[in-house]
Amino acid sequence: MSENKVLQVPYGTKDLLPGEAGAKRKMEDNLATNFSQWGYAEVQTPTFEYLDTFALGGSGITEESMKFLDRNNRTLVLRSDMTTPLARMVATRMGDEKDIKRLFYIANIFRYEQTQAGRQCEFSQAGVELMGTPEPMADAEVLALAVASLQTAGLDKFKISVGHIGFLAGLMEEVNLTGQEKEKIKQLVLEHNAVDLENYVNTLSIDEKLKGVLGRLLFLQDGQDMLKKLQKNVHNEKSYKALENLLQIFAFAKAYGVSKYLSFDLSLIRNFDYYTGMVFEAYTPDMGFNICGGGRYDTMMSSFGKDCPATGFAMGIDRIILALQREENFSSKADWDVFVAWEAGFAQAAIKKAMELRAKGKKVKIAFSSMNEMEAEQNTLENNCTSLVYIR
Amino acid sequence: MPYLTIALPKGKLFAKSVELLAKVGYSADNVVEDSRKLVITNEVSKVKFIIVKTMDLPTYVEYGAADIGIIGKDVLLEEKKDIYELLDMKYGKCRLMVAVPKAKKRAKLTDYAHLRVATKYPNCASEFFNKAGMQMTIIKLNGSIELAPIVGLSEMIVDIVETGTTLKENNLEEIAVVQPATARLIANKVSFKLQFNRIKKLVEDLQKVMVEENIK
Repeated sequence: MSENKVLQVPYGTKDLLPGEAGAKRKMEDNLATNFSQWGYAEVQTPTFEYLDTFALGGSGITEESMKFLDRNNRTLVLRSDMTTPLARMVATRMGDEKDIKRLFYIANIFRYEQTQAGRQCEFSQAGVELMGTPEPMADAEVLALAVASLQTAGLDKFKISVGHIGFLAGLMEEVNLTGQEKEKIKQLVLEHNAVDLENYVNTLSIDEKLKGVLGRLLFLQDGQDMLKKLQKNVHNEKSYKALENLLQIFAFAKAYGVSKYLSFDLSLIRNFDYYTGMVFEAYTPDMGFNICGGGRYDTMMSSFGKDCPATGFAMGIDRIILALQREENFSSKADWDVFVAWEAGFAQAAIKKAMELRAKGKKVKIAFSSMNEMEAEQNTLENNCTSLVYIR
Repeated sequence: MPYLTIALPKGKLFAKSVELLAKVGYSADNVVEDSRKLVITNEVSKVKFIIVKTMDLPTYVEYGAADIGIIGKDVLLEEKKDIYELLDMKYGKCRLMVAVPKAKKRAKLTDYAHLRVATKYPNCASEFFNKAGMQMTIIKLNGSIELAPIVGLSEMIVDIVETGTTLKENNLEEIAVVQPATARLIANKVSFKLQFNRIKKLVEDLQKVMVEENIK
């Protein structure tokens, strides 16, 4: 058994071989450049944190978290998302600063879950958090940046669904549902179970018109006209304001030129309890899972002792790579510019030449033994180099 | 317009599913259960059909290999995939139930605690017995579940029945219902958003046909 284990990697992990790792790094570099252009600064947090941090942040401690103990028997958890650690970091380390913070990260996330397309138990996310403003314009910036980032990564065929936590919350408050009833409805919406949702809503003693909206929630997907129509039909402030908020965000998104990617889905509430406002997910054809997701979480920071509205998103690097591969739009071949080979006795000269070329920014490989020119040409190909410099 | 790929389950739901889909304009030549072709395409209406084993169907849809599919609720409960469950098609009525050999019937369910249960549905069975506060030994089988108590592999079974004929033939008696089930229309999470209008119309058209045909 031990012999077998030596040759394997644990469930849900994988190696990135030459080429794959390089292509991923390149994408991450491009994303980092893009985030910087939008005024975002990179941050890093520890790979593992105290379990209590995640419990407090509201991202929920589930069976999915990978937990272990430190020397003092305190429970640690490998970060299962980046939003909570970032909120913790800003609240505790940057708490005095009143200005708006634009932060980004590229980090590995750990969740013990069934592996899916492009998602292992360890996977890579790039994301941003925009903290310190409740303005709809900030949500629009985050949406527009998500579009720009997906484009930077090389995707062009994608669509973003936008929802709002307040819409469903307002509806459920309006009809005075009990905590348990609310939980049940939320669960069915999260499970995307339109059949049981409609059946369950029909058993509740609430206004018939609202039954129609609540029971058919999963079908409330359309453009901004749907929002305007719904505004006339909802009679509670919270839902109305949620719709108004989405319309404002959409108006800014138009200015950013990204509105064509957006449509609304009022059943979108996302699987994290910390969201409080606009939420969104991005999808691309041929990939059965969302490639990007995010939203507004105004109350999480107060759990860490600092009131601070915030919004942001994360995108799954591995899933995006998979989507690009399926579009045959992703090259993971490693290549170099120059192969330096040399005739016997010219090794020193070859080293000098290689260093000159590198100083000029070329990617250079050098031979370790002498060879004739024909062998050198053969070696150039085998080493994935585009040209040969032969020193004699 | 992109293709809409529809996964159809082999077995008892197949014929009715093909018939209803054809009535709302989703058909292709030679959509038959023992089709040699693995993917059957209708170029005009941009539909592809794939015919798969029932237990695998939710997986095809979850990964987006099929955009939508028709499958029994029993399989959905067992497989617990992250998909949209859009419509109760009401046919294929059956129930997941617990049965024991007639001769070994006991007074109440909890009298069967700690026994062995043979089933094709280990998740549903575990969940059901856990809720009843019973710890059982679950034995997963892939078919001929009724055989297990006869040859002494298990004391009881959890299985799907429609009429109960097979139970009677094997001297088994139903002692509890785990869950009633019917055919459901399901959709992939992403397909439902990217092809929303088309799938929504399909749901509405199927509802109309169900009313016309009086499927309740």
